[in-house]
Amino acid sequence: MKRRVARRLGIAPRRVVYALLGIGVLGVAGFMISQALNTALVYFILPNEYAQQPDQFENRRIRLGGLVAPESVAFNDQDLQLTFLVTDGIQSYRVEHVGAPPELFRENAGVVIEGSFDADVFVSDNLLIKHSEVYEAPEDGHIDIEELRRSLQ
Amino acid sequence: MLSLGVLGSAALTLALALSVYAAVAGVLGAVRRDARLQTSARLTAIAVFLAATTAIVVMQAALLTDDFTVKYVAEHSRIESPVWVKVVTLWAALEGSVLLWAWLLTAYTAVLALTAPNTILRPWALVVMNVVAIFFLSVVTFAANPFIVLASPPLDGPGANPLLQNHWMMAVHPVLMYLGFVGLTVPFAFAMAALITRRPGTEWMRLTRRWTLLGWGFLTAAIVTGGWWSYEVLGWGGYWAWDPVENVSILPWFTATAFLHSIQVQERRRMLKSWNLLLIVLTFSLTLLGTFLIRSGVVSSVHAFGDGPVGPYFLTFFVIVALASISLVVWRWDQIRDRADLDAVVSREGAFIGVNVLFLAMAFAVLLGTVFPLFVEATTGARVTVGAPFFDAITLPVWMVVLLLMGVGPLLPWRRAETQTLRKNLLFMTAALVLAVVIAFAFGMRKPYPLLTLGLAGWNLASVGLLLAGAIVPRARITGRSLGEVFTRYAFEHKRRVGSMVVHLGVIVIAIGIVGSGGYRVDQQLRLAYGERVPYQGYELQALRPFAEQEAGRASVGVEVAVWRGERQITVLTPRINRFGTNQMTVPTPSVHYTAGHDLYLALAGAVDPAQDFVIIRAVTSPLITWIWFGGAIIVLGTTYALSPGDRPLRRRVSAEAPAGAEA
Repeated sequence: MKRRVARRLGIAPRRVVYALLGIGVLGVAGFMISQALNTALVYFILPNEYAQQPDQFENRRIRLGGLVAPESVAFNDQDLQLTFLVTDGIQSYRVEHVGAPPELFRENAGVVIEGSFDADVFVSDNLLIKHSEVYEAPEDGHIDIEELRRSLQ
Repeated sequence: MLSLGVLGSAALTLALALSVYAAVAGVLGAVRRDARLQTSARLTAIAVFLAATTAIVVMQAALLTDDFTVKYVAEHSRIESPVWVKVVTLWAALEGSVLLWAWLLTAYTAVLALTAPNTILRPWALVVMNVVAIFFLSVVTFAANPFIVLASPPLDGPGANPLLQNHWMMAVHPVLMYLGFVGLTVPFAFAMAALITRRPGTEWMRLTRRWTLLGWGFLTAAIVTGGWWSYEVLGWGGYWAWDPVENVSILPWFTATAFLHSIQVQERRRMLKSWNLLLIVLTFSLTLLGTFLIRSGVVSSVHAFGDGPVGPYFLTFFVIVALASISLVVWRWDQIRDRADLDAVVSREGAFIGVNVLFLAMAFAVLLGTVFPLFVEATTGARVTVGAPFFDAITLPVWMVVLLLMGVGPLLPWRRAETQTLRKNLLFMTAALVLAVVIAFAFGMRKPYPLLTLGLAGWNLASVGLLLAGAIVPRARITGRSLGEVFTRYAFEHKRRVGSMVVHLGVIVIAIGIVGSGGYRVDQQLRLAYGERVPYQGYELQALRPFAEQEAGRASVGVEVAVWRGERQITVLTPRINRFGTNQMTVPTPSVHYTAGHDLYLALAGAVDPAQDFVIIRAVTSPLITWIWFGGAIIVLGTTYALSPGDRPLRRRVSAEAPAGAEA
């Protein structure tokens, strides 16, 4: 028993150094991780949510969900510029995307676009079609927000 | 009426009942030291395997004969699919893949029952394997039974998930993954057995060393083939997107890699006992947690394996396994506390411990990033994803240190390094590092991570050279034989050591491939008018004509694109869009021109409209990306070499362990 205590005391300083080093490394790692998480967090929102808090999301990378508004699609095949309105029935925004419209891109299709807002224009670099069988865009123009949100997840 | 569905369910129920018996008989046999009960449990493990094999054979028969009374076949198969698609449909959806997992587990258990040396650990290890098998067999019998008989079977099914049918790689990737997961269950089972029998020495890891390496090798191969599959199928020209499905496959790989290194510290220095036990518990638990995360739909993923009924089961089993094994570790804490202490940080064990901490840190960060969206949603209600930049920012610097240690570690002796030799070695390696950076700089590379990685590749090459020279030159000098002869003999006698060098070489090759393709990738959409040559990255691309093809179960629409270099036509690529059966989902399928220097990767960016006189394609060039697949092959080769029989056994240390079989 005595020997054990003595041995423990004998090596204590080194253990303290290891422990301090470990805590230091953990602290730095924790700081790095929280910083990286904060900058890499991409919010998924609908157009009306952006309209409520534009300050929170402007110039920040987000994923915007919604439907392709009818009669809003224009594609210039020379400079490959695709523009359309994305809507959730409450609010619409103009989207600018460089690249061809994907195969299943059509009016009333559910889309999730990734990019950021520049003033009131959403500049997208990634366009995903959500071909969900769950959600059908209604004929009468009324859109159930919750259902839309679920279908785009 | 005996249908295939009934037969399959019966086989599963039998397998489940037998595995319950094997576990109970195993516990009783081990507690009462009853050799007959133990033998009974062992033989039953083989019977479990045969029953599970019957279930697999029945499922294959149902798939191949298009028996749509079986629910799984009705939901995932299709008459006109080619035979290979029907065969791999077994693991193309949830129920089938859990069945495959269960079957592989019973196979490993049967092999262990037959071949594991007769030690006091064996009965308990088999009990643990059987308990895990009970879990998987119950899931596949009750929660996700693929054999449910449909009262009104459809005339034809929808076919397998189009993304999975689209490439033959899908035939191997999931199987490799499960072989890896199941392989790593074996050391877990023996670790638990060691704790139960109060023998947490090195015996359990010595007995399972090959299984650990085998599981790790399969897992590595699975991750690399998974990346290749993404590259060839998903159409964005990349292979790794830090998607949850990818993340949960790399989590156990991180901990298993750490484990492979730290068990060597315990074998040589009797340190890290509890650490090793915790690592293998963590590795096994992470395979369960990962399956829960991606199969329950709690984290969304582009792979969309979607919601299944098995999520809660995996979560429950994960909690049970984690609680039970950690309680065991705590309960036996007095026995597994390390007596030895680290003599010096600059030593082989110091490097191994360092690399362990780094792998664990990466595992923690990747897990955090994967589940963080859940926390955010639970606390604020906001829907978020954690983007690839997070994972890159966290893992890239850590990988740099890992590569640094990978060069130093194997050169350091155990216990304490002699300063003079170390200094000389480090001088060589630093020279190689600087040389590699200068060469890369001269070739126009300016980005820090690629430069540093290439430097570390030079550092590691120098390290391997020094290792071999240190082993071979003195031997050649003493024996007077030629260097080649000594090398052959050395490689033959030290398979584990040479195998590990080969694996490390593969890691360097992959690292070069990753920085090349990640740092210098060009991704652009191009408008190609038919007949016109459009310059792109030193090539000229010329769309020739659209085409349409109809094959068994598959319809393709695509474009033939001639690739020119100067006045020479190198190849014709055929990016296309596939549609399978009646499924509305279209799968854009890229076409790739592979070279050692870089790949030219073409995918259709939009629809092919016959009325248009142009087509828009996405063109990606990724330098050195082939090196990743090549490096994966090198790692598999090195692992196979290390596993091949005939390695000289490690010098036995005198220990307090009882001779094998003393108690049985």
